[in-house]
Amino acid sequence: MAEKAKEAAEGMDARWYRAIGSGIWSFLNSLKLTIFILISLAVTSIFGTAIEQNAPIEQYIADYGETWGKLILYANLNDMYYSWWFRGLILFLAVNIIVCTLERFPPKWKSLLNHKQERFEPRLIEKFAHHESLSLSASPEAVRDRLLQVLRKKRFGTVTSGGGGEFFIYAWKGRIGRLGSDMTHISLLLILLGALLGSIYGYRSTVFMNVGNTIDLKNENFMLRLDKFWIDYYDTGHIRQYNSLLTIVEDGKEVLQKQIWVNEPLHYKGIKFYQANYGLSWNKLEEAQIVFRRKVDDGTEISFAAKWNTLVDVPNSKYSVKLIAYTADFAYDEENNLVYSKSENPENPAIKIEVYEGDRLISSPWLFLNYPGIFPAIPDSDVDLVYTGHRGTWFSGLQYSRDPGTNVVWVGSAVMGIGFIMAFFIYHRRVWIHIKGGGQSTEIKIGGTVNKNTFAFERDLKEITGSVSSNERP
Amino acid sequence: MILSLVFFTFSFIFYILATTAYAGYWVFRKKWIGQIATALAFIALGSTTMVLISRAGEAGHGPFSNLWESMVLFVWATNAGYLMMEYRYKFKAIGTVVMSIMTLAMLAASLLPYRYKDVTPLNPALQSKWKWMTSLLSKWDLQNYAIGWLDFHVVTTFIGYAAFAISFGLAILYLLKNRYEARQQQVKLLDAFPDSKVLDEMSYRAVAWGFPFLAVGIVSGAIWANYAWGGYWSWDPKETWSLITWFIYAAYLHARVTRGWRGKRAAYLSILGFAAVIFLYWGVSFILPGLHAYA
Repeated sequence: MAEKAKEAAEGMDARWYRAIGSGIWSFLNSLKLTIFILISLAVTSIFGTAIEQNAPIEQYIADYGETWGKLILYANLNDMYYSWWFRGLILFLAVNIIVCTLERFPPKWKSLLNHKQERFEPRLIEKFAHHESLSLSASPEAVRDRLLQVLRKKRFGTVTSGGGGEFFIYAWKGRIGRLGSDMTHISLLLILLGALLGSIYGYRSTVFMNVGNTIDLKNENFMLRLDKFWIDYYDTGHIRQYNSLLTIVEDGKEVLQKQIWVNEPLHYKGIKFYQANYGLSWNKLEEAQIVFRRKVDDGTEISFAAKWNTLVDVPNSKYSVKLIAYTADFAYDEENNLVYSKSENPENPAIKIEVYEGDRLISSPWLFLNYPGIFPAIPDSDVDLVYTGHRGTWFSGLQYSRDPGTNVVWVGSAVMGIGFIMAFFIYHRRVWIHIKGGGQSTEIKIGGTVNKNTFAFERDLKEITGSVSSNERP
Repeated sequence: MILSLVFFTFSFIFYILATTAYAGYWVFRKKWIGQIATALAFIALGSTTMVLISRAGEAGHGPFSNLWESMVLFVWATNAGYLMMEYRYKFKAIGTVVMSIMTLAMLAASLLPYRYKDVTPLNPALQSKWKWMTSLLSKWDLQNYAIGWLDFHVVTTFIGYAAFAISFGLAILYLLKNRYEARQQQVKLLDAFPDSKVLDEMSYRAVAWGFPFLAVGIVSGAIWANYAWGGYWSWDPKETWSLITWFIYAAYLHARVTRGWRGKRAAYLSILGFAAVIFLYWGVSFILPGLHAYA
């Protein structure tokens, strides 16, 4: 007794389990769910374009107020497209696609393979949305041959059966069009897979380089050097193009040199380097204009250019000068005894030079463009050096990224293209024809179905019937 | 420099005339008015083509780099699409609605400030000529006529927009017609339009053209971005809105095969989809800053 009860309970359990399972399955199998998810994705995506993404957290509080700002952060609307719930929605769509495909594809495939109907009930023809009946004087055989000829000319596949004045024709065309929707769905899954691969194994990074710099790339075992950066202009003065000449250095050897510009990245070992940005460097100069002034004597002033990292003689003197540092927006961090640039804009330009008397370094002062002469360049001397201007150098902003999912995305896109052509422009047409001779006349019933573009199909049918009925009138 | 603007004015006049003629055909249903309307539509198409050609000559690149140029392209594609549809389906009264959309688009383009109409050289990001084509054409010294991602991306996208505009016009007609059919009311003016079933089918066919073209536009944009911006997808507002639009039309296509959603709800989705297209095209350009700021 007890065992039976237990069995019954298990049976109940199984049934309960199955009922929930099939409930979930049919929920996931519904097209209404597809529409719901698609519209949800559309609506939620709008938030991501209306609310600035990845701004500093304080900005949301400042822009939207305490309550709304916190709500935005709580709902991850500040980084929406990468939030768990947006990704969940996409995953939901993927599951929906998979379930729908599993549910619909196998029976569809089967029916497409075993579709030929050599014999059928003639009355069924009248049930089709598109059907017609004709009465002709030609013999049934002649009508059959004529119809087959027309159908084959229109590239329909045909099977016929019957004899003794009664014939059945079944014709079809464009079966493969039925698979277009499945191709499209699979292509979407491929694209999502590619995006997933990219988000797991890929990265994007930005680097700002001065000409001559070599950088060591994180995660990669080679180095990148910027040899040159320049801007091309149109005659009108508009910027035509930004260019960087890059060299890949691997194991101390130069392995590849390439000129890149916007629209022309450098590929190396799965990494792409893009021209993303440019500007005047905030930590390097080509040269600085310096005025050498004698405080006593005649007070003569001589202007000369100090070169970056190169010793130049100061004219008519025993000194020589080397330009060793520059900051566009000078600031001093007392705690760490560090000089840094507050911004990349030349708000408070300052240079550091080394002054030599012969071979002896006698001074290495900071000089300020906005505050000439505030500190003496060479302490306890009767001369001074004043920083009066400079010629900057460009920096090149390079973005580099690795995304192993990209090719999967392209394959997905290509499959989608094929899927679209199949789904939208190949129609599955099926035609059933029953021919029956009886005494003086031959009765024809012709009918069919099409999965889309009924308009074109009606024209097809008209041409097919026209081909036999036009023979009637001499 | 002025020639394209002259052709534009000329085209604008012909769009107004064609719209009037189609409306005349719709109201009076005289065959000869319909023939005049179609002829005017063809002249307008030829003239719009000349706007594009002359602008390409003036600018030295494909005329797809500012809002005015793209509006002309939109009108051109809508007109070409409409005439193909008219040729296939032979329903001319629909022209009243579709031509009105084009005339409105021309009006909008003509009202743009001059800086949106001016000839501008291509900025660095827009220089995307295909190298294989440039090198192929350079054999005959024709390398200046090579096209690239800019041309391909913009043209495919705008064929999509045009198809959606046509679908939108048909969806509105469907809703009107369906309303009176459901009440079994005879409205003489609506008789000129085909049955609601046919309108639904035509509206769907238009989306069936627009949807893959928008997809090709998005994918070609992604391929281009992978050359120019450091990745195939950056959730730039234009990218996101194109996806939103695509989602809405994907919903439309699924609605049409779902019981209870075909017909009316599908038509509403088509209208919603075109609203998204307008925002994608104009709204994003003017309101949301992003990488697509130039058009």
